[in-house]
Amino acid sequence: MSAAEADVLPAVDATEAPEVVHRGPTTGSVLARLARHPSGRIGLALTVLLVALTVLGPMLTADPDAADFANKLQGPSAEHLLGTDEAGRDQLARIAAGARTTLGAAAAIFVLTTAIGLAVGATAGLAGGLVDSLLSRLVDVMLGIPSLILALAVVGALGPSLRNLIIAMTLGGWAYPARLARSYVLGANQRPDVVAARMAGVGPFRRAFGHVLPGVVAQLMIAATLELSSIILGLSALSFLGLGVQPPTAEWGRMLAESRDVVNRAPELALAPGLAIMSAVAAALLISEALRDVIDPSWQR
Amino acid sequence: MRTRGDRSTRAATRRRFALRLLQRTVQTAVTLLVASILVWSLTGLTPDDPARRVVAAQNPLREPTPAQIEAVRQELGLDQPVWRQYLIWASGAVTGDLGTSWRTGRPVSEEFRRYLPPTLVLTAASMLVALGVSIPLGLLGAATAGRWPDALVRLLSFVLVSAPSFLVGVLLLQVVVLRWGFGSVVATGGWSTVWLPAIALAAWPAASWARILRGGLLEASSAPFMQVSTARGAGRLRLLVVHALPNTAVPFLAIVGVSVGYLLAGTPVIETVFTWPGIGRFTVESINARDLPVVQAFTLFAVLAFVLSSLVVDLVSAVIDPRLIPTERKTRLTRWAARA
Repeated sequence: MSAAEADVLPAVDATEAPEVVHRGPTTGSVLARLARHPSGRIGLALTVLLVALTVLGPMLTADPDAADFANKLQGPSAEHLLGTDEAGRDQLARIAAGARTTLGAAAAIFVLTTAIGLAVGATAGLAGGLVDSLLSRLVDVMLGIPSLILALAVVGALGPSLRNLIIAMTLGGWAYPARLARSYVLGANQRPDVVAARMAGVGPFRRAFGHVLPGVVAQLMIAATLELSSIILGLSALSFLGLGVQPPTAEWGRMLAESRDVVNRAPELALAPGLAIMSAVAAALLISEALRDVIDPSWQR
Repeated sequence: MRTRGDRSTRAATRRRFALRLLQRTVQTAVTLLVASILVWSLTGLTPDDPARRVVAAQNPLREPTPAQIEAVRQELGLDQPVWRQYLIWASGAVTGDLGTSWRTGRPVSEEFRRYLPPTLVLTAASMLVALGVSIPLGLLGAATAGRWPDALVRLLSFVLVSAPSFLVGVLLLQVVVLRWGFGSVVATGGWSTVWLPAIALAAWPAASWARILRGGLLEASSAPFMQVSTARGAGRLRLLVVHALPNTAVPFLAIVGVSVGYLLAGTPVIETVFTWPGIGRFTVESINARDLPVVQAFTLFAVLAFVLSSLVVDLVSAVIDPRLIPTERKTRLTRWAARA
């Protein structure tokens, strides 16, 4: 692939060259390659916007919970860029505060499910034998239960709150990454470098942490980006039903639910959180699509 | 020319199918068993005393007396050891006795008889809408790959895949019913008013299936036999419908089967948006009222529907394409069945 190799082995390079061209840009960091990918570029732009909204938004906008009933349901104006809601609260401030709640909770669920999935799946794949059989059966059973239904049931038992919603969605969501992680570990065990390490007498722990897991984590993150989109959708749906945050906390799904009574007078109150959710889901979808194109798993170390 | 070898291959396939059936049935039973234990153990997570809640729901006006609570506790078997409590609960669930609602004081099975039919109508209608929209869209996208109709299909399906179902529902209700005056805000729970909620519930699966079908069709189109068919002069539509579509049938079927779980999980949201008198909305109200038996019953029902649909899809797929039956995995069960 590099120029030095081409000088040493011109014949081999000549046969491999067209293949490299077809694979598209393969140089630079993953981020740089994502930025060159058409849908990756849009996804990254959306992500930057959303992160800016989450981090900077609450500093630049008014108090999201300050009610002002005299100025309720005002249309967009210079003072309130997105207008005010049914309690006279600044809608833009609530969208920014909602970004923290929604994206923060989604990130928490994403990290928890991926970490638990990685731990369970890698343990099963690396240990093999009875441990593998037991853990795999458990994962099979958990996958036999629709994750949102399980989340609904757990919230039903624990009671509605944002913390319980995160617990519930984590319980419902760890099984799929676990199955993926196990299959990636089994695949990595067959890789020439891992086989060579075993032949060379590298112990099981060093082999796992030095050779198998780094690639597995990368693969799992790519696959999990797609899951992030369904986490955001599921989280906002359960919040919409009032099973997550409690008033007056701003959360996109809940904001849309609260706007339903006034939506014919102020449609922007429903559209703003709706579009916010859509852009977050779209960002995750676009990036996961681009990641799969950019990083060919067979090339992954 | 049929030979003996051919016949014995078919017999082997049939035997493998029977094994697969047995294996999957046992797997389904285990899933249901574990799921029922999970659902039952939710009772332990609540801070409420089940006996007290039942007495309070049945006599809403008076404060429950200790004697009443004790009587109900014995009736529910809550004074028994934990494993017997599960057996009492599970044997009740199997025979259709799902306990007493902590909110209405009526048997949960009675509430189910009332609220389940509208939900089944909604789910079935959504399935029809999703299939009716996704198959033509997927075919159109694959047939015009790289041209503007395909770009339109891809854009539309991408937007719908990103849209939460409640946003679609709220917008449909607002625009179609309130602004254009089509349909009615009153949801009866029957087939005449189901279509708008069904479209809202079907939007995500329809878009997602269209994307998957388009991708699958294009992938199947690159197979060598497709190039042969093209060389023999088959038209583009014939290529897609006659040659590529059957080859995407199995993965498509698997996704459709899995989505039964998605549709049922989506009913609480859509039924709440459209005030549809179904079990999903009833369950949401029950969660907010901390009415656990109803939540448990809904969960059990959804798991049962999901597990059974997965089983059926798996077996149908194995009939369509016997190559899908795994052979190399030898478990104790398959060895035992092969000997028998």
